[in-house]
Amino acid sequence: MTMPLDAPPDEDDAALLARYARGDAAAARALTLRLVPRVHAQAYRLLGEATEAEDVAQEAMLRLWRIAPEWRSGDAQVSTWLYRVVANLCTDRLRKRRRASVALDDVAEPADPAQGVEARLQDDARHTALRRAIAALPERQRLALTMRHFDGASNSEIAAALGVSVEAAESLTARAKRALALALRGRVGALGYEG
Amino acid sequence: MSNTPRMPDRDEIDTLLDDLAKQSVPDPSDDLVARVLADAEAYLPPPGAVTATVPWWRQIVPGIGGWGAVGGLLAATVAGFVIGLGALDPVGADALWSFGYVAYYDADLGLDAFGWALEGG
Repeated sequence: MTMPLDAPPDEDDAALLARYARGDAAAARALTLRLVPRVHAQAYRLLGEATEAEDVAQEAMLRLWRIAPEWRSGDAQVSTWLYRVVANLCTDRLRKRRRASVALDDVAEPADPAQGVEARLQDDARHTALRRAIAALPERQRLALTMRHFDGASNSEIAAALGVSVEAAESLTARAKRALALALRGRVGALGYEG
Repeated sequence: MSNTPRMPDRDEIDTLLDDLAKQSVPDPSDDLVARVLADAEAYLPPPGAVTATVPWWRQIVPGIGGWGAVGGLLAATVAGFVIGLGALDPVGADALWSFGYVAYYDADLGLDAFGWALEGG
């Protein structure tokens, strides 16, 4: 799908949001085309389910439209604010999903299915376990970890986004990985990632 | 087979995360874009709507060099105030000066009464 370019690429998100807040519909189109793919990709990686990821993306953007008139340039970057909103919306959904579903530990391993099916089930189980473990992390650890691994952010970019030192950003990521290792203890073989 | 629950090591965690990160992400559907644009239209403020402005004091702070500069200005203001009080209350502030500056000057530079007398010719 070819989209018209509604804003110059050097016009930052905050400037576009300010234009939207002054009633400029073209700014909304530009922000939508720029931000929705990022927001949707983040939600999809965290949730692994297309419909839910779209719902989260819509909800996050709705919150952006609603906050636009009160947005103060300089308070935060729009992208960072959205990143937090999406991460929190996904965490809420993962926690609700967890309460509603069978615990992973209770899932029996497939008896002797075809190789392709087994591999897919293991992939699904591994991704689900990892997403749940990520959702259980404290917020700043979760943000640092996902920014680093899913969005390829450097430690200095994470530090700037979270308002901490580079050393603190490194520490948050390291602690998050340690927590993931603890959460996944004992599932190494069952989840099929034993090397 | 070991009965002890094994904890994945750092490399295994990295592999897991990379594996999840490499998962292909579908493009947002046209329907999602349409829904987002519909929401944007529903909440679109009227043209020329008043937006939040940065308070005057927050606009000034970056202009004078940030919060560090503000701290320096405050410290200088407090110091000036104390010195000003000294002018009104010679017993209090001058006593402070005499314990600090004058005593240091006399002791370290060796300018005692005799020295002053010499200096004065």
